[in-house]
Amino acid sequence: MNVPVADMQNGNLLAKLIGLVLAIGLTAIGVVLGFVQGLPAQQVILYAVATFALSAWAWKFYLQQFHTQNSAAREEDGPGELRQAWEKYRLGVLGFVILLAGFLILSLTVEGFFNVWNVVSGLILLAIIVLTITVGKFVSENKSAFIGLMVLIGLFTIGAMNIEGFASAVNIKSILLFAAFLGLACVGQTLVSLLGGLDLSIPFVIGSANVGLLYMISLGVPPWLAVILILLLGAIIGAINGILSFRLQGQALILTLGTGFAISGGTQIITSIGTAYSGNVFGTVPKWLSNLSAMNGVTFGLPFPPVIAIWALVAIVLIVGMRNTVYGRYLYALGVNRTSARRISISERVYWVAMYSLSGLFSALTGALLLGWSGGGFIGVGDPYLFMTLAAVVVGGTSLLGGVGGYGFTVIGVLVLQVLTSFLVGIGLNFEWQQFIFGILILPMVALYARSPHIRTQI
Amino acid sequence: MTDLTAKTTEVHTDEERASGGTSNPYLLMPISVLFILLIFAIIRSPSLISSAGIGSAIIVSAPLILATYALMANAISGRGTVDLSVGPLIGFINVTMIQLVANGYIGSPVSVFIFAVALGMAYQLLMGLIIIYIRVQPIIVSLSGFLALSGINLVILPRPGGLAPEWMLNWGSGTTIFSPVLIILIVATLAWLLFTQTAFYTHLRLMGSDERAAYTSGVPITIVRLGAHAIAGMFSGLAAITFTSLISSGDPSQGTTYTLIAITAVVLGGTSLAGGRGSVIGSLFGALNLYLITYVLATFNFGAVQSFVTDLAYGAILVASLLLTLALPFIQRHIRNFSPLLYFVALSVIVFGVILHNTFDYDGLKSIQPVLLMAGPLEAAGTNAVNLVSPGYAKPLIFAALLIIIIPVLLRVLVSQSSRKDIGPLLAIVVAALVLLGGYLLSRGPELPDSGAKTEEVR
Repeated sequence: MNVPVADMQNGNLLAKLIGLVLAIGLTAIGVVLGFVQGLPAQQVILYAVATFALSAWAWKFYLQQFHTQNSAAREEDGPGELRQAWEKYRLGVLGFVILLAGFLILSLTVEGFFNVWNVVSGLILLAIIVLTITVGKFVSENKSAFIGLMVLIGLFTIGAMNIEGFASAVNIKSILLFAAFLGLACVGQTLVSLLGGLDLSIPFVIGSANVGLLYMISLGVPPWLAVILILLLGAIIGAINGILSFRLQGQALILTLGTGFAISGGTQIITSIGTAYSGNVFGTVPKWLSNLSAMNGVTFGLPFPPVIAIWALVAIVLIVGMRNTVYGRYLYALGVNRTSARRISISERVYWVAMYSLSGLFSALTGALLLGWSGGGFIGVGDPYLFMTLAAVVVGGTSLLGGVGGYGFTVIGVLVLQVLTSFLVGIGLNFEWQQFIFGILILPMVALYARSPHIRTQI
Repeated sequence: MTDLTAKTTEVHTDEERASGGTSNPYLLMPISVLFILLIFAIIRSPSLISSAGIGSAIIVSAPLILATYALMANAISGRGTVDLSVGPLIGFINVTMIQLVANGYIGSPVSVFIFAVALGMAYQLLMGLIIIYIRVQPIIVSLSGFLALSGINLVILPRPGGLAPEWMLNWGSGTTIFSPVLIILIVATLAWLLFTQTAFYTHLRLMGSDERAAYTSGVPITIVRLGAHAIAGMFSGLAAITFTSLISSGDPSQGTTYTLIAITAVVLGGTSLAGGRGSVIGSLFGALNLYLITYVLATFNFGAVQSFVTDLAYGAILVASLLLTLALPFIQRHIRNFSPLLYFVALSVIVFGVILHNTFDYDGLKSIQPVLLMAGPLEAAGTNAVNLVSPGYAKPLIFAALLIIIIPVLLRVLVSQSSRKDIGPLLAIVVAALVLLGGYLLSRGPELPDSGAKTEEVR
């Protein structure tokens, strides 16, 4: 019994040594970089001490979390001590080195990247990653929501520290405003994916509703009536989508794309009949509609646009409804297993068509609200939503195969995407880079919780 | 009595077996649509059937056809693999090629081809590895690739521009049928046809229709999936080369359009996005159909709403063709021995007739007032057609046409009645010979009046 204890102490010593070496190395790099940049000596020393303390703490945390049980179960004879230590801590060391290398490359290539805020935010990032991994082990249900929340917190903290005005009321309001548009557009996508379908007609319906509403208003239809008509038309289009794709569920993606093309083309033909301006509709948007979704809108005297309140209301109704009502439970039942749902006489057709028509309804609503925001009709207003709705649903954690997820997850996904956009805009990246980073980030986020089992476990 | 029934059933099964390999009812739809559109196109604008018309058709549709092949390779592999990133990938290869050529890194045809194909394969293999080892749903991986690539494309080449390599510049003129693009197209199609003869293709189809069955029966699914991705990457590379030759420059923003159109073409061609089913001829026709839709619509003058009408027609045809696949089981039940080849030959004879009719009546059409021409495309041609067609030329042609129809029908009946299965190749050879004969007669027979008509047209 003596040997393992000695071994453990030995291992602990080694671990501490490795941590010490890493911390000293990090501090040394910091000091060198500080002097190269010509900072005052006091500052460099302060940063060096802070770096050393923080990295030593991070290493200690890592040791406590991961290597208390493992070390007891080690074998007595094996490769040499150094090699053993390497094998034991290689994950931690490698992760550390990779983070460090990334940081170094960034500081060497980007001018002025190496400053105290970036170091601190890097460490916060590290802490959040460690926290996510350690706490994530205990979260077995709703892992995607947990990870999404952690990413949200991390992004927001770092953004607030690094970017001036990131945590200001105006910026938060604008994040929420765009999140509300995206969130409303995602309602349909979420509901449809819960059944295992996909709806790519959303952007086209948004664009058509946007142009069609203005067209109706310019024809002299009372605005309130026009909005109701547009919502109704949206629901009808959604229902048509649902009816057509019910027998072709595997091809729902492409079928909705086809109806989307047709609707967008048809709307533009109708709206450009009798005018010289093809595809451009002119008209005045009523005040109440622009108040609904403009940045300086007012909700019952409070200074935020009502669209945020609408989104919140929709989200609450959907989350509560899907959790507690029989309709919501049936929806999940259908998504998980069609056969067993049919056995308890749930009509698949009714739910399929209903979800698609809800999708059309909310797309039309988004289009109408976007008209209030922009003040002019434009058919391409929905284009960014083509894949963004899909991305938000997927990042939130709703499975595209059906049965898993919910609107609450999508809300988190939407917020993550919007805060990330705001952050990327804040650090001065333009649209191309934002899109690139979105694409790169979707994969690891989804990979954290939505990995399908290996084929050999499915047999 | 029992003997008789046994015999009939035996014949029956034999028949089914004989037709089982070649009969593909899913080709029925693309072929029908192709010929309907072709007849329309020829009647609307006979200039399609000229060296320049066919040449430009090949040039314009080649990237789409190759992109469709790339999509099909992935779609067959199952798991709902719809490669959304095919458009941005073509754009990515295009812009990197343009930039590298501009900076003098590559330039010779060999290096450009190797570069494009290698880049496409590298990307697709990466995607395949992520799908296999990280086990995220393929559609999410391709969505991520779509966003990342369309972002990075704009970074590499912010706006359309640049110049293709010099040797490629005259490819895109489209004045002759026999351009290098046609050779690429033929080689790609033949390569796929050869590929369908391999055991690997059988494995691929098995895996696509039932992955678990494939795994349990010992198919190396990892390698097969990677192989499918490699093939898709190869075709993407070729598509990028033909795309570059078409526009003779770089264009980073074509991604979304190409993705959507290529998916449409795949579905029109009868490939199942659920996996396991797809044919190169169907995809070829699907892509050609899309070209013809645009062509036919371009002959109508819609003025400012032209692009909207195209959208509407795309969408409507896509939805209609998807719905037609629902009717296929019924058709299959009634037509037991459907041969796509025979159907194709029969329809092409009709189209030949229409071409002849149109070419010979060209003078007659010229002499009528344009107002009458607009009256109805089908009626206008009949005015004084008879006296222009010289009976001396017409007789052999009609004879050849009848032969072309009758002999395959006889052969087909012969094949289905006999129990031998290896007459199939003979049938193909005879039909090919007949078609060649018809083509030869066509090229010799009406040469004089045809060229006369053309010169008059030029004047």
